[in-house]
Amino acid sequence: MVGTQIWIMIVAFTVIVAVFFIYYNRFVRLSHQIDNSLAQISVQLRKRSDLIPNLLSAVKGYMKHEKKIFKEVTDARKALMSAKTVDKKMKAGNQMQEALKSIFAIAEGYPDLKANTNFLQLQQELSAIEDKVAYARQYYNDGIMSYNVMTNMVPGKWFASMYGFKEREYLKIPEAARAVPKVEF
Amino acid sequence: MNRLSFHEEIRKNKINSFFLVGIVLAVLLVLVYTIGFILGGDYFFFIIIFGTIFSIIYVVGGYYKSADLAIASVHAKKATGIEYRQYHNIVEGLCLASGLPKPKLYVMQNQQINAFASGRDPQHAVVCVTTGTLDKLSKQELEGVLAHELSHIANYDIRFMTLTAVLVGMIAIISQLFLRSLFWSAIAGGGNDRNNNNTVLMVIGIVLAILAPIVVVIVQLAISRKREYAADSSAVKFMRTPTGLIGALKKIKGNSEMKISGAVAPLFIAKPNKKKEWFSTHPPLSKRIARLERM
Repeated sequence: MVGTQIWIMIVAFTVIVAVFFIYYNRFVRLSHQIDNSLAQISVQLRKRSDLIPNLLSAVKGYMKHEKKIFKEVTDARKALMSAKTVDKKMKAGNQMQEALKSIFAIAEGYPDLKANTNFLQLQQELSAIEDKVAYARQYYNDGIMSYNVMTNMVPGKWFASMYGFKEREYLKIPEAARAVPKVEF
Repeated sequence: MNRLSFHEEIRKNKINSFFLVGIVLAVLLVLVYTIGFILGGDYFFFIIIFGTIFSIIYVVGGYYKSADLAIASVHAKKATGIEYRQYHNIVEGLCLASGLPKPKLYVMQNQQINAFASGRDPQHAVVCVTTGTLDKLSKQELEGVLAHELSHIANYDIRFMTLTAVLVGMIAIISQLFLRSLFWSAIAGGGNDRNNNNTVLMVIGIVLAILAPIVVVIVQLAISRKREYAADSSAVKFMRTPTGLIGALKKIKGNSEMKISGAVAPLFIAKPNKKKEWFSTHPPLSKRIARLERM
C-alpha cells in the first residue's frame, strides 16, 4: 500500500512539473516566433530600400521634372536606415511605400519608361516585397494574438505573471493606409 | 480556436505516417515470406533474406527519398529564380505568412492546370506546378494554388500522402508480379509435386496479393478527401481571402486531367485522372468551391 501511495505522489509531482515546463516552453517558443517574424519584416524593408537606388537610376532619365517625388523616396530610405525601433521602421517603411506608389503612378504617364524591362522588373520585385511585408506583418500579428490570448487566459495568465511574460503589442497599420480608397463613377 | 484543431491534425498525420510505415513494412514482409514459401523451394532462404533486406531498404529509402521519387516520376525540373521570378516571390511571401521554410520549387511541362507538394517534413518539402498553371492563372489565383500546397506541407499531409504513394505503390507492384508469375507457372503446368501444405499457402498468397492493393486504395481514399478541405481552409487562413483559390479551382475545372501514374495522383491539387466521385481521392471541385464561397 505504501508503495502505491509513493507512486501516486511521484506521478502527480511529475505531471505538475511537466505542466510548468510546458507553459514556460510555450511562452518561449511564441516569443521567438514573434521576434523572428519581426526580423523578417525588417529584412524585407531592407531589401526594398536596397532596390531604391536602382529604381531611381532607372527612372531618372525619364522623369526629369519630378524632383519632389525623388526627394520623398530618398528621405524615406534615409529614415529607414537610421530607424532603430520597430515603430520607426514601420513608419519609415509605410512612408516609402507611399512614395513608391506615387512614382509608379507618375510612371503611367511615360510610355517609354513603361516599356523599359529594367523598370518593369524593379516594379514587379517591389510589389512582391510589398506583399511579403504584408504577409510577414500578418504572421507577426498572428503570433502576437496567440501569445496575448495565452497571457490573458487562465491558467496561462498565472504562469505568465510567474515567469514575467508580459502582453505584447500588435503592429498597427497607419491611418493613411487604412483609409478606404474612394471609388467614383 | 481553429489553431488547436490544426495542431491536432498535424499530430494525427504524424501518428498515421508512423503506423503506415509499420503496416507497409509488415505487409511487405508477409508478402515476401509467403511468396518465398510458395515459389522458393530450394531458394527459400535466399528469397526471404533478400526480400527482407530489400523491404527494409525500400521503406527507409521511401521515407527519405519519396519527394525525389515523386518529382522524378512526373519528369519535373527545378524552377530557377530568374526564369520563374513570380513563382518564387509568391512562395516566399506565403512562407512568411505561414512561418514555413521555403520549399524547393519545381516545374513540370504540361499545359493542364495542376500542382502538388511532397516531402517528409517542412524542412525537406518540394512544390511542383505545371507550366499551364503558371501561364493560365492570374497572380492571385496562382497564390491560392500555392497557398493550398503550402498548407499540405504545414499540416504534414505531404509526409503521409507521399509515403502512401511510394510505399503502397510498391505493394501493388509486388502483388501484380506474384499473381502474374503464378498465372504463367500454372499455364506452363509445372509444380505437380506440390503437397497440400503448399496449396494452403498458395491460397493465402493469392488472397494476400489480391487484398493488398485493395487495402491500398482504401487507405488512399480515407486520407485524401478530408485533407483537401483542410488544406483549402488553411490556404484561406494564409491569404485571408478565398478569392484567389476559388478563381483557380474554377479554371482548373476540366483542365486538370493528365497522364500520371495512379500512385502519385492523390498528391495533386485536383485529381489528374478521370474517376467516379465515390472512388476518387479528391472531393469534387464544385463542392470545394461552394465551401470556399461560404468562408
